[in-house]
Amino acid sequence: MSEARYIYCVIDNCGKKTLGNIGLENKKVYPISYKDIGVLVHDCLPQPYQSENQETVKSWLLSHERVVEKAWKKFKTVLPLSFDTIVKPDKENSAEENIRIWLRNEYKDMKQKLSQFKDKAEFGVQVFWYPKLVADRLMDSHQDLKSMNKEIQSKPIGTAYLYKQKLDQKIRTHMVEESKKCFKEFYEKIKVKVEDIKVEKIKKPENEKQMLMNLTCLLHREKSKELGDELEKIDEEREFSVRFTGPWPPYSFVS
Amino acid sequence: MEPIRTTKVTLVDLLDRILDKGVVINADVMISVAGIPLIGICLRAALAGMETMSQYGLMQDWDKNIRDRESECRKNNAICSNSFSRESLQNEKEQGPGVSSP
Repeated sequence: MSEARYIYCVIDNCGKKTLGNIGLENKKVYPISYKDIGVLVHDCLPQPYQSENQETVKSWLLSHERVVEKAWKKFKTVLPLSFDTIVKPDKENSAEENIRIWLRNEYKDMKQKLSQFKDKAEFGVQVFWYPKLVADRLMDSHQDLKSMNKEIQSKPIGTAYLYKQKLDQKIRTHMVEESKKCFKEFYEKIKVKVEDIKVEKIKKPENEKQMLMNLTCLLHREKSKELGDELEKIDEEREFSVRFTGPWPPYSFVS
Repeated sequence: MEPIRTTKVTLVDLLDRILDKGVVINADVMISVAGIPLIGICLRAALAGMETMSQYGLMQDWDKNIRDRESECRKNNAICSNSFSRESLQNEKEQGPGVSSP
């Protein structure tokens, strides 16, 4: 029985109209409201969506996002929920009643958040560097590295090998320092262009690029240009590249 | 510089958001499963490409490990509460090698 409710997002002034069959597996998406706020849901079994098939999961994830995006456009502000959030009935209440109870309990907080995130969006900012280019530059600009490199040339093979390892270690130390310096510099530049900022975990290197910083930034959804201009300056530097994604519903700031 | 939002480029970014974040409901009437973030990890791995993954070979073992534990957990708790699943997987993530550090 479809007695549970899969929730996509919290919205303001939601009315009663259905959004059509745009949910996971083309389910009908409609609002459940409490006072002037509500959530968008579809009816489902009281069990989570899960599958070993990646294509299936992928299509669910994209559907979830599509519903949130549509709601975002239509209602201007959304507080998105994470994938697979399902409320079930219990002995006393139906799933719908349980959702209303939750909305009633969280009403003040939700109203505050809805106004806080009005017209806001989050943007992903990932700055990468090319370690090889950075290492080359450090080699040129640091006398200790330079002279050590020179010394290696004059050593017999065995000793040269050990020297080389020592040199690599030294370069690594310099690079750690350099990465801290760059992080701080970029962070300061970005911070003044946004309203809120979260430092996310660095991801593993891809090809010859290494991630230096991974940020999520909150700002007015129409005001990404200023941030984009700042990022472009970083992106134009030979040693760095920037990945700028968005606008996303404010997933990272609502929890 | 304009922000990008095409599906192909940003699926991993989407995963980072819709699996780990968003409004959380802490209530007994929630259904969720310990396996959901796991699906995310597998999918992430597939998207990142096997070549890159094998550079960080431990990931595969870890993936298998966490899978085994997850199915064990699923057996024990046919239905886990949301907060439980989040916490346990968060811990797994913190310990897992090769995911975050460069």
